[in-house]
Amino acid sequence: MRGTGILFRMALRSLASHKVKSLIVGSIMLFGTALVVVGTALLDSVEAGMQQSITKSLSGDLQMYDSEAKDDLALFGGMAMGADDYGEVPDFARVQTVVEAVPGVEAVVPMGIGLATMSRGSELDRTLDALRQAARAGTIAGEQGQALVARLERLIDLLRTELINSRALLQDTTEVDAQIASIERARGDAFWAEFAADPVAALDFLDSKVAPAGGEGLLYYLRYLGTDLDQFARYFDRFRIVEGEPVPTGHRGLLINQRFADSQLKLKVARLLDDIHDAMTQNGARIATDPALTAKARQVASLYGAISLMLSPEDAHATETELRRALGITDGTLDTLLEALLTVDDANFAERYALFYDLIGPRITLYPYRVGDVVTLRAWTRRGYMKSVNVKVYGTFKFEGLERSELSGAANLVDLMTFRDLYGQMTAAQEEELRAIREEVGLEHVGRADAEAAFFGGDADSQVTGAEAFGTFDEMHPPTSDERSDERPSEAARRTITDETFTREQMLDGVVLNAAVILDRDAQGGTGDIEVARVRVQAAVDAAGLKLKVVDWRAASGIIGQFVLVVRGVLILAIGIIFIVALVIINNSMLMATLERVREIGTLRAIGAQRSFVQAMVMIETLVLGLLSGTAGAGLGAGIITWMGHVGLPATSDILVFLFSGPRLRPTFGASHLLIALVVILIVSLISTWYPARIATRVQPVEAMGDA
Amino acid sequence: MRRAILLVLGLMATPLSSSAQPPPQAPPAQAGALTQDEMIALLRTVDDRQRNSGDYKSLAYIEQREKDKEQMVYEAVVYRRDATDRFMILFTRPKAEAGKGYLRIDKNLFIYDPTVGKWERRTERERIGGTDSRRQDFDESRLAEEYDPTYVGLEKLGKFQVHHLELHAKKDADVAYPVLHLWIDADSQNILKAQDMALSGKLMRTVYYPQWVKMASESKGADVYVPKEIHIYDEVEKGNQTHVVIRSVDLKSLPENIFTKAWLESQSR
Repeated sequence: MRGTGILFRMALRSLASHKVKSLIVGSIMLFGTALVVVGTALLDSVEAGMQQSITKSLSGDLQMYDSEAKDDLALFGGMAMGADDYGEVPDFARVQTVVEAVPGVEAVVPMGIGLATMSRGSELDRTLDALRQAARAGTIAGEQGQALVARLERLIDLLRTELINSRALLQDTTEVDAQIASIERARGDAFWAEFAADPVAALDFLDSKVAPAGGEGLLYYLRYLGTDLDQFARYFDRFRIVEGEPVPTGHRGLLINQRFADSQLKLKVARLLDDIHDAMTQNGARIATDPALTAKARQVASLYGAISLMLSPEDAHATETELRRALGITDGTLDTLLEALLTVDDANFAERYALFYDLIGPRITLYPYRVGDVVTLRAWTRRGYMKSVNVKVYGTFKFEGLERSELSGAANLVDLMTFRDLYGQMTAAQEEELRAIREEVGLEHVGRADAEAAFFGGDADSQVTGAEAFGTFDEMHPPTSDERSDERPSEAARRTITDETFTREQMLDGVVLNAAVILDRDAQGGTGDIEVARVRVQAAVDAAGLKLKVVDWRAASGIIGQFVLVVRGVLILAIGIIFIVALVIINNSMLMATLERVREIGTLRAIGAQRSFVQAMVMIETLVLGLLSGTAGAGLGAGIITWMGHVGLPATSDILVFLFSGPRLRPTFGASHLLIALVVILIVSLISTWYPARIATRVQPVEAMGDA
Repeated sequence: MRRAILLVLGLMATPLSSSAQPPPQAPPAQAGALTQDEMIALLRTVDDRQRNSGDYKSLAYIEQREKDKEQMVYEAVVYRRDATDRFMILFTRPKAEAGKGYLRIDKNLFIYDPTVGKWERRTERERIGGTDSRRQDFDESRLAEEYDPTYVGLEKLGKFQVHHLELHAKKDADVAYPVLHLWIDADSQNILKAQDMALSGKLMRTVYYPQWVKMASESKGADVYVPKEIHIYDEVEKGNQTHVVIRSVDLKSLPENIFTKAWLESQSR
């Protein structure tokens, strides 16, 4: 004990007498310790932020899915662009019963991810469709029907102008001439007389002869998460309704992700204007100097035609008048005025942006849906055929704090019954019907490899048979529509499928693709607790004979979840390199200091100091320096983190908003960060002093005398 | 000499598309390499034999097999009015799909889904009911009208001697595949095998027609040939295949207003 005290005193004396060396080595240790504290605390804060973003938006704490799935679950998007195969969980109700009985599990939320399309026909197609419905309802002569007719006439006129302009640029005008001829017919009085007499026939003509010239509509890809919407709203804390209302319990419905709507569904001209506005107001960018903004501004100006097409005749007139007044332009057509409105620069942008949303926005459809609309979703079912479902848009939602993050727009929400329709889940009766049809025909399956031998290598010399090979049509003719009417809902009934309600039991009894496990808020803690729960849940499903894989939120989120692991790896590598450099510097400094102290060490050896005493002396000297510098470094690191936590690190990109779980990261530190940093720096100190200490032990008393 | 006479007869038949005229003469059986004119005559024969001058209605069973997916089967009625190039498919079974339909008017292919009450315009590449079949697989054959042939060779397909032709789509022809390879039975002059290719030459589908049914048509005053079975193998998504069985054919006249959107809609009311 007394020896130790002497060693400490000697270490302090030595540190004081070699100030420059102590200062250099101490600074390195201080910097290293501070780096470890700041790095690990930041990383842990990012991981905690990301955990918040992921667990509170889509994943829950754990996810379960088919253990035989071909692809790994990727809630924020996989590599197969929506065609990922996560297998299926055929009986969710049983899974829920088993897992909710596991201690620490608060709830199990059913889920199913899919990709659907939502289309928006061209203006002409949509107007014709509306007219067809009016014709079916016999309301064409009414006010709304006549407004549609007026709109149609305007669209035909605009299309004619466009075709005549494009004709001048074409070498072969055969097709465009035929289209113009059809349009001329549609503009004639005789055609409108025919329209009045037989609107359906006239609409058929417009559909097949005129509408194809009006261009294709737009197709939107919509990633959706089918779930128990009530439970989702309850257990996913970041979920907030932005517009409209939640889907009522037991009803089918769609909630559109506001971020997705703004970045993917919104009318292109409005999206571009929003992008310019955000870049200018949030990042201080300028159209004149930012090439990306310059390009967007140029693109905006070219899109006036799309707006013109969307305006009804009355709105077109009103817009023209108001734009003339606002822009101070007295001549020119509506298109000229719209082009002028959309020709933006740094000086006029704010005014034009406001004008667009004040004058144009209310008169056009900015999104391909309105809250309350019934939209048609189409998806490829698991049997490979296209399934269409009408579903009502009840509202839009966001994940609070993540509004700016593109990743938060990863999925829209639908009820579980709609998901199952789009997924193509068949009832036992439907499966039986397919089996019966197959059996009725009894087609023998021939594989690709055997096809030619099977089809053309047999005994038959001719491929031709007589008409007796066919059954008579009347025998096989399917029942007429009248005969079928008792077996399936009428068209009108089918279209009101969105009004169908379902019970909770019906919703839970069926297939899902995955399920979120929400852990008890009190029991839930850090990563370790989640891993313990994961093992427990996995054991429970295994014991119940359920073929499910249980993964934590990080694994369930796909490549995003691996981000922190990658960053942690990079940080450890960086710290490792810094410490190797530090180790070499400390080692050299200590070696030099040892060589300078040969006389002192030799004298100590001469008066009886053992080699171990000398070694301990050198090592303790570094340890004391490490302890002092490390403590100061940990303090500095803690100070930096405290300051960062106070001011907040801004999320300067979409991905950072998601990683920071909001617009700013406010990092915190704990005792563990300080302790780890201190231990690391002491270990580095000891390793770096080991060699100088060995050299010191080899100093002989005679070397001290020799120097004298 | 006999071949020359037949060729002249074939050429004389060339401009005649109506079945009121005698069918064009195809090249003789067991012929060697065909000339351009003989190939065109052969394609006209293939087209003409499948064409009915009146209306056509068939009951088709369509079975779709996809790798790692459950099978899907449909029953559909195919309606054709070859004289005016009208075409329609109405799905009748299973119940969940009944009422869906395709309607071709001029160059437009529309699809109707009664579950959502909407029409949509589709392209010639549309996979009928999500299967590997296309509209052309069910519609009137227009090979001579839509493609220019070149001769590849006289080959054996199983035990049958076949003319192997390579066809390239004519300019402005609205077809699903721009390049076709056909293997036509030199004896019966029925297509036994077809391969559909993309413009790049990539093989997309192989189609087999192992059986043809010959039936008398009153309106045509001649026989009409109908494939009994069509087996389509997807060459891009290996393992995917569609098998079509024509179970019955009716060549009687159809109601006048049948090829309209209104009629198709009415079938699901």
